[in-house]
Amino acid sequence: MAAPFLTLSVNGAQRRFDLPGDTPLLYPLRNDCGLNGPKFGCGLGECGACAVLVDGRPVRSCTTPLAAVAGRAVVTLEGLSRDGAPHPVQQAFTEMQAAQCGYCLNGMIIATVGLLSRKPNASEAEIRAALRRHLCRCGTHVEILAAVRRARALMTASTGKEAGAA
Amino acid sequence: MTGPRETSRELYLEQPDVLLVLKPGGANAPEIYLAVRADGEAVAFNGHVDLGTGIRTALAQIVAEELELPLERVRMVLGTTSAAPDQGPTIASETIQVTAVPLRLAAATARRHLVAQAATLWAVAADEIAVADGVLSHGANRIGYGDLVRGQHRRIDIDTTAPVKSVEAYRIVGKSLARADIAAKSTGDWTYVHDVRVPGMLHGRVVRPPYVGYDHGEGVGSSLISVDPGPVSHMPGFVAVVAIGDFVGVVAEREEQAAAIARALKPVWRAPPRRPDLNAPEQALRDNPAMRRVLKEEGDVERALAAASPRMDRTYVWPYQMHGSIGPSCAVADWSAQRLIVWSGTQNPYFMRRDLARLLDMPEEAIVVERHEAAGCYGRNCADDVTADAALLSRAVGRPVRVQLTREQEHGWEPKGAAQVVDVRGGLDLAGGPIAYDFETRYPSNLAPTLALVLTGKVTTNEAVEMGDRTAIPPYAVPSMRIAVQDMPPIARASWFRGVSAMPNSFAHESFFDELAAAAGVDPVEYRLRYLTDPRARDLVRAVADRAGWHARTRWGSEGGEGELLYGRGFAYAVYVHGKFPGTPAAWSAWVADVAVNRRTGEVTVTRVTVGQDSGLMINPDGVRHQIHGNVIQSVSRVLKEKVSFTETAVESAEWGGYPILTFEEVPDIDVLMVPRPHEPPLGVGESASVPSAAAIVNAVYDATGLRFRELPLTPDRILAGLEGRSEKEDGKTGQAGRKRRRWLGGFGLAGLAGIAACGLATLSPLRPSVAAIERPDPASFGAAAIERGRLVAAAGACDACHAGAGGQPLAGGRAFTTPFGTVFAANISPDESHGIGNWSYLAFVRAMREGISRNGTHLYPVHPYTSFVNVSEGDLQDLYAYLMASPAAKSPAPPARMTPPFNMRGLMAGWNALFLGSNAIAYDPAKGEAWNRGAYLVEGLGHCSACHTQRNRFGAEKSGAAHLSGGLADGWEAPALGHAAKGPVAWTQTAFFDYLRTGHSADHGSAGGPMAKVVASLSSLPDADIQAMATYLASLSGTPAAAGGIAEQRRAALASAQAAAWPAARLSPRGERLFEGACSACHGPDSPLADLALNTNLHSDRPDNLLQTILAGAPAPASLARRNPGEVMAMPAFGDTLSDRQIEDLAHYLRARFAPEKPAWSDVSSVLSHLRQTPSPTGGH
Repeated sequence: MAAPFLTLSVNGAQRRFDLPGDTPLLYPLRNDCGLNGPKFGCGLGECGACAVLVDGRPVRSCTTPLAAVAGRAVVTLEGLSRDGAPHPVQQAFTEMQAAQCGYCLNGMIIATVGLLSRKPNASEAEIRAALRRHLCRCGTHVEILAAVRRARALMTASTGKEAGAA
Repeated sequence: MTGPRETSRELYLEQPDVLLVLKPGGANAPEIYLAVRADGEAVAFNGHVDLGTGIRTALAQIVAEELELPLERVRMVLGTTSAAPDQGPTIASETIQVTAVPLRLAAATARRHLVAQAATLWAVAADEIAVADGVLSHGANRIGYGDLVRGQHRRIDIDTTAPVKSVEAYRIVGKSLARADIAAKSTGDWTYVHDVRVPGMLHGRVVRPPYVGYDHGEGVGSSLISVDPGPVSHMPGFVAVVAIGDFVGVVAEREEQAAAIARALKPVWRAPPRRPDLNAPEQALRDNPAMRRVLKEEGDVERALAAASPRMDRTYVWPYQMHGSIGPSCAVADWSAQRLIVWSGTQNPYFMRRDLARLLDMPEEAIVVERHEAAGCYGRNCADDVTADAALLSRAVGRPVRVQLTREQEHGWEPKGAAQVVDVRGGLDLAGGPIAYDFETRYPSNLAPTLALVLTGKVTTNEAVEMGDRTAIPPYAVPSMRIAVQDMPPIARASWFRGVSAMPNSFAHESFFDELAAAAGVDPVEYRLRYLTDPRARDLVRAVADRAGWHARTRWGSEGGEGELLYGRGFAYAVYVHGKFPGTPAAWSAWVADVAVNRRTGEVTVTRVTVGQDSGLMINPDGVRHQIHGNVIQSVSRVLKEKVSFTETAVESAEWGGYPILTFEEVPDIDVLMVPRPHEPPLGVGESASVPSAAAIVNAVYDATGLRFRELPLTPDRILAGLEGRSEKEDGKTGQAGRKRRRWLGGFGLAGLAGIAACGLATLSPLRPSVAAIERPDPASFGAAAIERGRLVAAAGACDACHAGAGGQPLAGGRAFTTPFGTVFAANISPDESHGIGNWSYLAFVRAMREGISRNGTHLYPVHPYTSFVNVSEGDLQDLYAYLMASPAAKSPAPPARMTPPFNMRGLMAGWNALFLGSNAIAYDPAKGEAWNRGAYLVEGLGHCSACHTQRNRFGAEKSGAAHLSGGLADGWEAPALGHAAKGPVAWTQTAFFDYLRTGHSADHGSAGGPMAKVVASLSSLPDADIQAMATYLASLSGTPAAAGGIAEQRRAALASAQAAAWPAARLSPRGERLFEGACSACHGPDSPLADLALNTNLHSDRPDNLLQTILAGAPAPASLARRNPGEVMAMPAFGDTLSDRQIEDLAHYLRARFAPEKPAWSDVSSVLSHLRQTPSPTGGH
């Protein structure tokens, strides 16, 4: 039975996949699109290393069937930058040096983008709760929390500026 | 053509314009430490690699400093064997302390050489030349390094007498400069070993033997009986199955194909042998053969002990722990007969090369290890194992192969951080001082030979190594002291893990001295200072105590508490001694830990850690701070939560639920004190701050509760057991012993059936005429409209839920249905003339549908729901016939039924029909309206819901009356009760039925799983009006519809009782709670777009079948995804191959107690689970 092509938007570009619908999204992203941001961590949806945004909401691509995102917009770590400049969350993570090995960084940044888009003024408790199911083994939590606070400030400032300009 | 390659040593040696600084004495095999190139940049080489600690930046700082270059003009090459020198494995926090020394000298040598060259050029004295940013100057003369280097190839040896800069002159070393890799890592531009792609690369997966986590002993390397590639060789992308000894791997074109093939491959293994119980490791370690090695003996220990008052003999037990890299190991190998290139995340590239040479019988020189960063490893993980795996697979297929280990393989097979048992005998003298210290530690661990060498039988030994001695000698002056280590080989596969043996040894030292202080009635900090002799240690202890605001205390309880919480503070100090005994001290570290112990729940929270470190000169202070943070968080996690669990034969913890680590909400406040010592040599900082952790926390728990815990981790159940003064139930079963599972039907007596036949109840003849075969009708004769209508009829009847063939071929049949009477196979109902119904006339078809008689006159078994189809309208049957005849033919025969006698006598079904056919008949009820009647028709006729949702009687017929639609079984799943008998806490409404049937999901009830997921998928073709009609009819079965407010109240009450049950459920099944938090809560947590589990019908059912099926097989995302909320795109993975039976039982008991607290515990989880394990559902996920 020939599977129909599945079409979705990946970082703003329409992509067509001739793959079974139950293929975990992570593999076509990494191996067909050549995107290295999302990482294989557990394949069980437990650790968050493979997180991507689907219609702006963080999901775990290792347990997301390709068919489930047909027609949707997928954004990976690589797709966050605008006009060559890193996303404010990426900028904040770099500024606060919020990585040791950096393998979990993708999930942390994606989760933060998701959180701050829903709750631009997320409290400390909300930040910790949003990152709770993202695992980091190096113990970079202190720097990551600092980076999320920094990102919150950067994004609030830029929103304010845009509002002011308008 | 190949993947990312480092410029090789040979190319540097051939470059015309370069200054190379070499290791002296290597004329035949030059080792380059530094290259200054004609572009003015320096490339520096180090044999140690960056494990995520930022060593790449720190080493570059050292080079830039001595060479007077800006940091960004120094590039580090780490580890790669074709370029970097062999400096041994990256272990023991040695990089800065040891391996950076020649690098610094190389840079100093190069600077002196360049200055001398300029001095010659300008004919001036060397000491008159200034150097800054890679430019030499004297008066008006200026020249860059590049210009000096250009035009000549020069090699100089590292000169240990080359002058190095004084600390006062430092401008790069000692500064907190940003790491260059983080910006690239934050945008996805960094190439981890996982991201290496080589042209023509295939994907591999390995399949490991069942003795998970053991690398020696009975059966290891010799357990594979057979592996048949046949069943997987047809799978998409298949390239090869490779088996060598117990090494088994698969290769495929695509990664997910390799994963699927590896899951489907079923090698036959010998049963693994039973192993000693490592869940409570003390006895196993005492029983393990050992060689006692006395490290230190002073005074007359036995005589002193005899005089001790009080005499204190203690035993401290450390559990098996995991490195737990966040990314399972990965590697790429490209083999040819002449050479092998591997891209590897190894800690020890040259060891790796030696192992590969041995494994593949190749000369070392023919092998290149290209080292790339991987996920942090904190010791020896599976990085080397997977590199060797990739090499074997690449050799087998002659193409580059990338191998990614699974989470389960990394968890199961990584060489564990070994358990340790430490016995301390001691006590007080009359003045309250330590009179004697008799310390003996057991450390069952070694270097963990690379797994492929073990699995292929190249390595069969199990050697002990002398690594249990780290920080075995306490820092305190005790007049009589005997320190011994029992060197022993591993029990489970084990190797070095951060704070190697020093962390458990210091747990014993620092707990014991805390006990001595308490027994002596002296403040524990004061007590330590009395006997601590090292001045830098004393300074650090004082500084940390001051920073934390330490108040002297002579008994526990002085921090008080509030409500359920008891507060406590604990102190500990250690210096991590690494390398071969007596070893080299790394940084000094001291902790004050603040804890809150919940005396009701047993939870220990580390609220704050004040940690001080004397690291000597800090190359990059922020880098040091990050290492301290990392060590504190990781070690708090290890002390509070971490312990590998084992089955009788293997490692059990295969994912993060079975091995939880600290989460963001549990991270303590950390106050770091870094002692400035810029004039002292730099010390290793990668491990030191972990070492005092356990004792500091345990001492704080003592300070809070008065209880000493001498075994880790400090899980709530352990703490509660201590608080309640009872022994711990280390391995107590949480559930009740399973009763024998209720069968689908009770015993079905032959007499019953014989009675039916003999008493002549069968008014219909058991012998029915056959209907003449016809030629397959021409699809064109039906008309497109009829075929399309028939497609919808088939969708409403969900024909393919049962009749789809293996691999999903529509209508092909062949699926087995196990009944108490035997096994029935779904018929091929495609229009194939030999195997399907292609030669059936319409009349034959109608008779089969309504009367259960096959075309040839034999009776069908009522697995085929003709008792419902009797209600289907003539028009629908005609359309369905047209659709089936117009469908593609499937040429596969369905197997004949295998019924146990007498049920193999199909003629008996005649009597059955006389009894039961027609009992489901429905009639149009004009009073109920059009929607209801349409719904009744779809539910009771075409949809044949009762076939699954109604219990069957002793004769396999649907029960009637109140039993109708009150729940049944289907395909190993429970088809729950509909209507008034539904078990969930919230009543079903028309809206809920509509949502469920339309989207596969109802917010108040959960998602469709198993066969029902297929039904929902099939119904997706039907218009909303039909779904609404079914919902109307089904809702009417519930009796009086609940008011909207009533539903809201039911929902609120269910959520509230689940909330209240969190603690009792955790108490009942602590392991289940940890599994839920680690494995389930990412999707089933409070913010989830999924239905709350408190509302999920499966958890409120009388039977655990559906819950267990879902855990085992997962839940594919429902069919009607387009209609679902954006957040609900994830499927539930199958945990059947990941979790052990014990874990699933623990989890099921927790889920029931937590989310259906009003319901009694399931008594049959164990037996249902074992039944489901033996008969996996064909319907579940994958």
